[in-house]
Amino acid sequence: MNDQPASPAHASPSVTALRIEAIEALLVERRLITSDVVDAIIDTYEHHVGPMNGARVVARAWVDPDYRARLLEDATSAVGELGFGGAEGEHLVVLENTDAVHNVVVCTLCSCYPWPVLGLPPRWYKSSAYRSRMVREPRAVLAEFGTTLPDDVELRVWDSSAEVRYLVLPLAPGDAADRPEDELVASVTRDHMIGVVR
Amino acid sequence: MGGMHGFGAVPVDDLELPFDEPWEGRTFGLYIAAGVAGARSGSIRPGIEAIPPADYLAMSYFERWASSLERGLVDAGTLTEAEIDARVRDPRPPAQHGNDTNPELAAGLAAALVDRPRGPSGEDVAARFKVGDRVTVKRMAPEGHHRCPRYVRGVSGVVTRQPGGWPHASGDGRPEATYTVRFEMRDLWGDDAEAGLLHLDLWERYLT
Repeated sequence: MNDQPASPAHASPSVTALRIEAIEALLVERRLITSDVVDAIIDTYEHHVGPMNGARVVARAWVDPDYRARLLEDATSAVGELGFGGAEGEHLVVLENTDAVHNVVVCTLCSCYPWPVLGLPPRWYKSSAYRSRMVREPRAVLAEFGTTLPDDVELRVWDSSAEVRYLVLPLAPGDAADRPEDELVASVTRDHMIGVVR
Repeated sequence: MGGMHGFGAVPVDDLELPFDEPWEGRTFGLYIAAGVAGARSGSIRPGIEAIPPADYLAMSYFERWASSLERGLVDAGTLTEAEIDARVRDPRPPAQHGNDTNPELAAGLAAALVDRPRGPSGEDVAARFKVGDRVTVKRMAPEGHHRCPRYVRGVSGVVTRQPGGWPHASGDGRPEATYTVRFEMRDLWGDDAEAGLLHLDLWERYLT
């Protein structure tokens, strides 16, 4: 299943859309909320928070060894140095990939995710398939993302089950020191920082 | 749902947008705005976990949020199911205050959502275990909201980090120590498990 309900016995998105519209109208009429506040929240996560933030963190760690050390020691503060933080980023931990270790992140209980550095999670991260399988057959799931991990690379899966939110620091390209930081930023994807791509 | 079978391949797609449809964004924004207004009770996860399991599996992610929002508004006494049902049958824009705005709150909330913390959260609390200790997750079947996946219950692992203390399951009680615990995949899934390690964060009450 792909988490998109097929059965009309359950609320279809259009039914839910109508209920949400009704709820918003009722709350506005009672002056409990104003719609511009809802707009501002949506705008924040559509335009101001996303994987571009995490990519800046990763690129900085690749070019600045002192920053990298601070990031691995206390990611919350190091991410804050670059201006990022907030909801679902109150306690960040960065997981360093090496030639011998690969990290990947999942949330089996819901869909916990480090919002300040990655934004809201993509649909597949929230799917039953990803949540159920990444802890039990991670190499098989990685293969579905086109990632084949050599047998001698230790795989570490992180299930975000409490308050810590995890971000993967991918392997730096060999020539990272010679490339402009902006170019490095552009090379880092959301999937690298979740760990489904190496 | 860690370890459950039968969900098939991961539905990987190229969609990068946080909300596939406008109502999903409205649901997300309303959830936060209604919380700030004190118009709903509870929090997102307990509300979602109160959805009957068969319904839960059939719902999309933001349908679950919508369900949790509605439950929180009703539980707080802000709206009734009957009012919402009636409005769904007779959809129309707000009869009054539809053009009201609150730019100060909108800007303040947008800023607060991305406000940089001074340092990592997590209280310095008394802890029974320390890094390197071998711990076992208790066998248990708690009702209601908790944060201990079934698939680690009864399994032993090693504490690798102490991130600090938080109220249990994001509730409003006193902070309790949490631990990052490393498990061997074969201890979780048996002899034919894939090679590797699995880490979870667990509250002290789950461990022995």
